[in-house]
Amino acid sequence: MTAEAEKPNIITTSLDFLVNWGRTNSLWPFPYGTACCAIEFMSTEVGRYDLSRIGSEYVRFTPRQPDVLLVSGTITYKQAPVLKRIYEQMAEPKWVIAMGACACSGGFYDCYCTVPGIDHIIPVDVYIGGCPTRPEAFFDAMFDLQNKIKDESYMKQRMERVKEQIEMIKAKTAEAKQNAKDLVHEKIVDISEFAAAKKDQLLKKAQFWKE
Amino acid sequence: MDNFAETIVSVLEAKFGAKREALAKWDTCVVVEKNDIHAVIEFLKNEYQMDMLLDLAGIDYLTYPNHEGPRFAISYALKSMKNPGRRIRLKVLVSEADLKVPTVTDLYKVANWLEREVFDQYGLTFVGHPDLRRILNHHEFVGHPLRKDYPATRRQWLSENDYLVPELEKHLETLGYKVIQRSEEINPCDNEYLEGSIQK
Amino acid sequence: MIVLDPNGEKLNLMPLNMGPSHPATHHCVRLLAAIEGETIVGAVHEIGFMHRGFEKMVERGTWQQVIPYTDRLNYCSAMMNNIAFCRAVENMFGIEIPERNKVLRVIVNELSRINDHFICVAAAFQDLGGTTPFMYAFNPREEIMLIWEKLTGARLTNSFARIGGLYRDSYDGFESDVLAACVSVEKALKDLHACLDRNRIFLDRTVGIGKISKEDAISYGWTGPVLRATGVESDLRKDEPYYDYETYDWDVVVGTNGDANDRLQVRLAEIEESVKIVRQALKRLAPGPVDIVDPRIRVPSHKMAYQDMEGLIGRFKSVYEGIRVPQGEYYCGSECANGEVGFTIIADGSGHPYRIKVRSPSFAHVSAFAELVEGLTLADSMAILPGLNMIAGELDR
Repeated sequence: MTAEAEKPNIITTSLDFLVNWGRTNSLWPFPYGTACCAIEFMSTEVGRYDLSRIGSEYVRFTPRQPDVLLVSGTITYKQAPVLKRIYEQMAEPKWVIAMGACACSGGFYDCYCTVPGIDHIIPVDVYIGGCPTRPEAFFDAMFDLQNKIKDESYMKQRMERVKEQIEMIKAKTAEAKQNAKDLVHEKIVDISEFAAAKKDQLLKKAQFWKE
Repeated sequence: MDNFAETIVSVLEAKFGAKREALAKWDTCVVVEKNDIHAVIEFLKNEYQMDMLLDLAGIDYLTYPNHEGPRFAISYALKSMKNPGRRIRLKVLVSEADLKVPTVTDLYKVANWLEREVFDQYGLTFVGHPDLRRILNHHEFVGHPLRKDYPATRRQWLSENDYLVPELEKHLETLGYKVIQRSEEINPCDNEYLEGSIQK
Repeated sequence: MIVLDPNGEKLNLMPLNMGPSHPATHHCVRLLAAIEGETIVGAVHEIGFMHRGFEKMVERGTWQQVIPYTDRLNYCSAMMNNIAFCRAVENMFGIEIPERNKVLRVIVNELSRINDHFICVAAAFQDLGGTTPFMYAFNPREEIMLIWEKLTGARLTNSFARIGGLYRDSYDGFESDVLAACVSVEKALKDLHACLDRNRIFLDRTVGIGKISKEDAISYGWTGPVLRATGVESDLRKDEPYYDYETYDWDVVVGTNGDANDRLQVRLAEIEESVKIVRQALKRLAPGPVDIVDPRIRVPSHKMAYQDMEGLIGRFKSVYEGIRVPQGEYYCGSECANGEVGFTIIADGSGHPYRIKVRSPSFAHVSAFAELVEGLTLADSMAILPGLNMIAGELDR
């Protein structure tokens, strides 16, 4: 990584533009729909509002394929580990929309069993209010997310990721070296102890025969 | 319909020493002895075709004004399918010292979950229930949320979801199967999503 | 896991977890099945992923503040729950609501039922892989939603009913809108039947799947369309009529087999009956008041509050203190889209509910799910689940 590569130039910016164009117009949602907002999301998908106008027609229920995690509905403490696991399983790049009051802040369920906003568990990109959210508001949120994606730089993210990975590899190597050292040290200690024990035994034997 | 209510109340009074609940001004409610509840429901089911158990509602009378007597109560709502319109509620009073109630899971299948719910929310235990564990709250939850002394906003985080395989094994045993080798438990770890989910 | 079956044979079963994040379980049911090949040998299921504490929350507010919470029980037909709750409290007061209110409530009830059944059938098709009926079913639904927007101001969670009245009277042109909606409902029904009745794939996957006997269904506490699919003629609108349901000309729809196909067919046939009731109710819609005149129960109108001292006091008192429901306890059940929704109400005579327990139909339906799927294949389990119409808000409350 030279300093040269960190500066944006015509190749990287064009690539950024191309990648962002692709990402913006094919946002596949993962509808993590638990409650009322999921019904409104279903309304958004079909005929009258038609989500596929902005390239999001493929609703995917496996975390490996989609780009946007769409948390629509109340998340309870029982549900929270599941949601976290789903978020972790999603492939990069990934974004999160908190749809409706319950997902944003717990809504009017201020109770022993509801998580007060999913941002206690996972990072959120766009919040939408409403109980439940209207389809128009949902579209607005999608446009907001698209604008956000347009500002992102693919090359920059990639560079950061590579840096992180290099650091991680370095750290892991150091750790492994340390481990190996410790192991060798332990072995030496083991052997010396073993030798000492053997010696003791021999001495005892010799003593015995002497007597 | 009123006739039916009168007769059934008098029958229960004579047979089980039950009392009519004075607070139930709009429907028929009978307070029965805790240990009689199984016999009463069985009697109603066989003799009066009360063949549907609609609801089990736990009640905590801790802050109820001018309440005397045991702290908890359970209200059983019953309905007859053969004679539409016949309904009755039974109520048992449960004191805090003895939280045990006889189960009715052998009479109604839905009672299984309904009793689990009452156990979960109020901590009343049902003697003879096949699988009494929490149903609505998670398994790491401490306390019983619908009791009046549980603060509404005391939140409890869950670290990991229920494993549920032991329950499956138990269920298979009741079906007549015999488990001779258990399935291996896979422990999830933090780095799992980096390194793949199956670890030896 | 390796097990010995009842005959002493050795079987290698695989425990397989489905849900709560699964398209057909709607993030609210988790099924752990022990499968041999593709056949489910035994299964246990877990709920509670959507338990949001309805019963604890309502104890903190006044009686009117319960109404928005009841919306979110069965959010596919929100207003039916409002009306069921208000009916229970009105019975406790012993008040009779005006004639126009009754008719409006019947219309709202039946349109909500249509909405709910459409969602159920659409979701069932979607889970079996059919997208077209999903689109067909949502067209009339959107039309009804437009009526809701004009009538109540909200699309889904409307909070329309009030104790002793309604949020407001209907708007001009309500009748013609409802009639137009009825026409498009019938058109969608025709389309849906064309997709469903002779569809080989659909019939192969649903006929004879998930059968349940009458006795078992009753023992499991099933009510509503799923019970009627088994052949039990039980409908609270006929058995214990309220809002003059007995004076309308309609039939109780009854199935024969009690399998997954019957549950959906009964729902579609009930939509037809509901349209009948709506058409008759529209003819009865005569002008008149919708609210009862009693400032202790129904909040006086703005007009009265601004011009009349009594009205102002009534408004203050019922907003700040809440209406005072007489002390006592009561169970009242109403026939909602999914079955009997009952409220066990314990009132202590103050402005706040002491305890409200909801008897939710979904809870009873889903409790039978693990037993229904045993002996079937894994794919069949997902054909059964949407037919039970489990609504998370109602299931876990």
